[in-house]
Amino acid sequence: MRTPVNRTLLCLAGLVLLAVGCAVLIGGLDLPRRWGFALPSWWSYRGPHDVLLDVRARTRYRKEGWWWPAVIGGLAVLAVAALFWLLAQFRHRGPGRMLVHSGEDGDVVLRGRAMEQALAADAAELPGVLGADALLTGGRTRPRVEMRMLLDRFAGPAEVVSELDGRVLAEARTSTGVDWLPAEVRLQAERHRARRVR
Amino acid sequence: MRRGPPPGGRAGGRVGGPGRARGPCRGRTAALGRHGARRAGEGDMTGGRLWSARRVPSALTACAVLALAGTFLYDITAVRAGHPAMSWRTALARQLATRPLHDPWVLTGATLAALLGLWLVILALTPGLRSLLPMRPVAPPVRAALARTAAALLVRDRVLEVSGVRSARVTVSRRAIRVRADSHFRELDDVRQDVDAALRETVRGLGLARRPAVSVTVRRAARR
Repeated sequence: MRTPVNRTLLCLAGLVLLAVGCAVLIGGLDLPRRWGFALPSWWSYRGPHDVLLDVRARTRYRKEGWWWPAVIGGLAVLAVAALFWLLAQFRHRGPGRMLVHSGEDGDVVLRGRAMEQALAADAAELPGVLGADALLTGGRTRPRVEMRMLLDRFAGPAEVVSELDGRVLAEARTSTGVDWLPAEVRLQAERHRARRVR
Repeated sequence: MRRGPPPGGRAGGRVGGPGRARGPCRGRTAALGRHGARRAGEGDMTGGRLWSARRVPSALTACAVLALAGTFLYDITAVRAGHPAMSWRTALARQLATRPLHDPWVLTGATLAALLGLWLVILALTPGLRSLLPMRPVAPPVRAALARTAAALLVRDRVLEVSGVRSARVTVSRRAIRVRADSHFRELDDVRQDVDAALRETVRGLGLARRPAVSVTVRRAARR
């Protein structure tokens, strides 16, 4: 499942580290003089004898009234955002809920856990499948399924997937009335000893 | 119930010509081009690769940011409340203000930071899940992938069924399947032909989006 939040934030963190590292390296290795290019005027690290953060730069805004509230506020926002990002990694994304029917007399919502159990049980019944596990994600109107299946030793994966789509997922689609039910399926097998059949 | 050959894909592969009777014989089934290519209108849901959620690097990065921001926040608010600054922060400020950029520590730190940043960017932009082989899409909203270890086990078990094969080792990389079988009776050529035939059917049954190149080596097993 694509996770835009994780990937955007990772990219952002990576770019910050990359930019700082490169800026220090360009100054520290004296690349502008060696390779003969000019740095823009706002560039902070200009040569190998600069320091990372001198006292004047560190205390420049100390007299300003907004400085400490800005620093503390910025750090607080950063810490809270990082905390939420961290917790999101451990949150159990399912069971969601599915909107099965909506009418004037009210909505019928299927509990995600029930749907997951039904999918897993049906998938485990397929030929060539030893066990299955289903996770329902997404919102109530746009559900998604993530499945893991354990294959038997002589299963045909292509057949298993087409059976899963044609029987299990098709039944889930018709019984819930959701005509677009995206699914991600991972097929695995348990390591076992080689055994000659005859 | 066997599925027929997939539309658009050629079934099986060509077996190398009759080889030597002794020593390693290689039959090579060529990679047969890609199929399961994008069909119009499927957009993001094509039978492409599954994308990793990148939970572990995200959790680690979040931890690092949280620890850093939290520590600074704690000490800065403490100082604002009239407590003395912690010693590490005054030491850090002194180091930052005195160490020149050409100092080896600074250069090492900058190199590490740049490399770590590059790695995070790569993690963010690549799909990951290299241990899973994407499968041919059966229906647009269903995407499936087969674990490489599972593919290896399935192929090995099938090759062991061929009579004359005593043991087999199968390695599955992201583009190729390599089979090394030891045979203890029958002509090596016959065994190899049977292994090739078995592989043709089995590899098609794996239903991979990209048909892997298959190479087979059959050798005479050492006498026990």
